[in-house]
Amino acid sequence: MFFQQLLNGITLGAAYALIALGYTMVYGIITLINFAHGEIFMVGAFVGLALTYIVKANIFISLLGAMLACMVLGIVVERVAYRPLRRSSRLSALISAIGVSIFLATLVQLIRGPQTTNYPAGIIANTVYNFASIQVSKLQLVMIVVSALLMLGLQLIVKYTKIGKAMRATAQDYDAASLMGININRVISFTFALGSALAAAGGVLVGIYFNAVGPFMGLSAGLKAFAAAVLGGIGSIPGAMLGGILLGLAEISAIAAGKSSYTDAIAFSILFLVLLIKPTGLLGRPIQKKV
Amino acid sequence: MLGKRKKWTALVVLSLFLLSFVAGCGGGATSQSSGEEIKIGFLGALTGEVASYGINTLKGMKLAEEEINAAGGVLGKKIRIIEADNRGDKGEIANVTQKFITKDKVAAIIGDPTTGGTKVAAQIAQPNKTVLLSAGAVGAGVVEIGDYIFRNTLLDSVAAPAVVKYLKENMGWNKVAIVTSKNNDYSVGQTKVFKQALAENGVEVVTEEFIQDKDTNFSGQVTNIKAKNPDGIVFTGYYTEGGLFMAEAHKQGLDVDMVGGDGLLSDVLMKLGGQGVEGSMVFAGFSPEQPDEATKKFIEAYKAKHNGEEPDMFVAQGYDAVKIIAAAIEKAGSADPTVFKDALAKTKDFPGVSGNTTFRENREPVKSPISLLVVKDGKFRLLAKIPVEAE
Repeated sequence: MFFQQLLNGITLGAAYALIALGYTMVYGIITLINFAHGEIFMVGAFVGLALTYIVKANIFISLLGAMLACMVLGIVVERVAYRPLRRSSRLSALISAIGVSIFLATLVQLIRGPQTTNYPAGIIANTVYNFASIQVSKLQLVMIVVSALLMLGLQLIVKYTKIGKAMRATAQDYDAASLMGININRVISFTFALGSALAAAGGVLVGIYFNAVGPFMGLSAGLKAFAAAVLGGIGSIPGAMLGGILLGLAEISAIAAGKSSYTDAIAFSILFLVLLIKPTGLLGRPIQKKV
Repeated sequence: MLGKRKKWTALVVLSLFLLSFVAGCGGGATSQSSGEEIKIGFLGALTGEVASYGINTLKGMKLAEEEINAAGGVLGKKIRIIEADNRGDKGEIANVTQKFITKDKVAAIIGDPTTGGTKVAAQIAQPNKTVLLSAGAVGAGVVEIGDYIFRNTLLDSVAAPAVVKYLKENMGWNKVAIVTSKNNDYSVGQTKVFKQALAENGVEVVTEEFIQDKDTNFSGQVTNIKAKNPDGIVFTGYYTEGGLFMAEAHKQGLDVDMVGGDGLLSDVLMKLGGQGVEGSMVFAGFSPEQPDEATKKFIEAYKAKHNGEEPDMFVAQGYDAVKIIAAAIEKAGSADPTVFKDALAKTKDFPGVSGNTTFRENREPVKSPISLLVVKDGKFRLLAKIPVEAE
C-alpha cells in the first residue's frame, strides 16, 4: 500500500509540476505572477474535450490541439492584459491577471454551463499492470511519461536553442538584454506560449485522469501549482518540477495517514513556511541586489 | 490631455452606475402592482456546482404555478414565482433572500435545496416574518431557527436507520467504509446520522475517509478503503464527487457498491461515474416508478412540457412545495405569512407526488414510504420501497 500511495502521489505531482512550470517561467522572465495561468489550464482541458468529442480525435491529437490553442490564448492574454501594463506598477498587472482569470472562467461557464463534465470513457483503456504488489494503470503511465517528456523538451528548448538563450538572458537582466538587441516582446510572447502549452497538456491529462472538467477547475489547481512553484523556487524550472512532485507526495501522504481534510491546508502551509524560512525556495537563485 | 481622459473615464463610470440604478428601479416598479398576485420566491442555484438541484426545483415549481393559475389561482389571485440565481454561494443566498423579502414582498420563499443554504436564508426569513419552506434541506438545525421555517423532504434521520436495516438484512452488509465531504453541511450531518444507525444495527465501520466538495483526486482515499476490504461504501456527499469517487474506485479495481442520500440523485452521477456507479444505491422521497395516479399525471404533464425528460426528486418536491403553500393560503383565507403559517403547520397527510406529507409539532415532515433506487445500465431504477412509521 505504501508504494501504491507513492505512485498516486507522483501522478498527482506530475500534474502540479506541469502547471507550475508556466508560473515559474513567466515569473522568471518578467517577475509577474500570471494568475490567469490556472484558467489557461482549464481552457486546455475544454479544448481537448471538444476535440475528442467533435473531431473524435485520438488522445495525442487532442493533446496537441489543446496545446496549440492555448499557446495562442497565452499570447493573446499577454498582449491584451499584461503588455500595456508592463511599465505600470506591479499591482496593476496582478489585478489585470485576476481579471483575466475571472473572465476566462465565466466565459467558459457561459458557453459550456456550470456542470462538471468528463472525457468519454475508454479514451485511454483502463488496463492495469501488476508489478509485485503495486498496480499501475495505463493512464498513470501515460500521465507520468507524457509529463516527463514535456519537461525534458522544455529543458532542451531553454538550454540549447537560440530563443532559449534569449529567454535566459532576459530573465537575468531585462534591460541589458534589450540593449544587446534581443527582441524582448518576442521572448515574452514565446514564454507565455510555452507555459500555456504545458498548462494545456496538464489540463487534458488531469481532465482524463480525474475524469472531471469544469469551468472552475483552474482556480484550485492554479493555486496549488503556484504553491509548488514557490516551494521549488519561483523562477527555477527544475524547482517547479521538484516542487510539484513534492507537493503531490505531501498531499497523498496526508490522505494515506487518514488526514485527508488537511490536503489544502498542506499546500498553503508549505507556501507560507517556504516564504518565511527560505523565500527563494528549494532550488531558487538568490535575489540579486542591484546596486 | 491626461485631465481630459480622466474626465471621460469618470463620466463613463458614472453613467454605468446610473444605468444600473435605473435598471434596478425599473424592475421594482413593475412588481409593485402586487394586489393581483401572490408572489412566491424561488431560492436556489441556477448556475454553479449545485445548479442541477435548483434548476429542477424551479421547473417543478413552475409546473405547479401553471396548474394552479389555470384552475383559477388561489383566493382568486394568480400565483407568481419570482426567480433569482444564488449560485450556491452563501453570500448571494443572503442577498437574494433579503431582496425577496424587502423588494418583492413575497408571501413565501421556497428553497434553498441545500441544507447549508437553507440555514443562511432561514436566519433572515425568521425575523422578517416570511415563511420559508425548504424543498430539499435534510440536515439538522433547520426548523429550530423559528416558527416560520418549514421543510418538505425526506429526512436523513428518518431514512438512514431504515436503509441501514435493509442493507444489513437484504444485502448482507456487515462492514462499511464511510466517506464524508468535510466542507459540506449536508454530508457532515448525514454521516452523523448514518454512524448512529450503523452502530444500532451492529454494522462495523472499518474506515472513515474525508474529501472536500470540488476535489477531483480521490486516489489516496480509494487506496485506503481498498486495504480495509469493506462490503460497501456509505457516501454522504453530492453527485459530482460521488461519481468521481466511484470512477476512481473502479479504476483501482475496488469492486463494492456505495449507498447515499438524495445528494447523489442526479444523472450527472452516472455521467461521471460510468461503470463505477453501477449498483450504487440512493434513497429518496420520490421515484418516477411510483404507480400512484396523481404521480402518473404529474409525470406526464412534466414530460409533455420538457420534451420527454423524466422528473426527478427535486422537480417533485418543488412542485409539492408550491401546492402545499397554496393549500395553506386557501385554508387560512389570507396570503399574509403571519396568518397562513399556522394553517401550513397543520398540514396533515397532504397527498403530494413525492410522498404523503404531515408536519409534526416542530414543523419537520414525516414522509412515507422511502424509495431505494439502484443504478442499473446507467439509469436509476426502483429497488425497494421501505415504509416508515410516523410516531
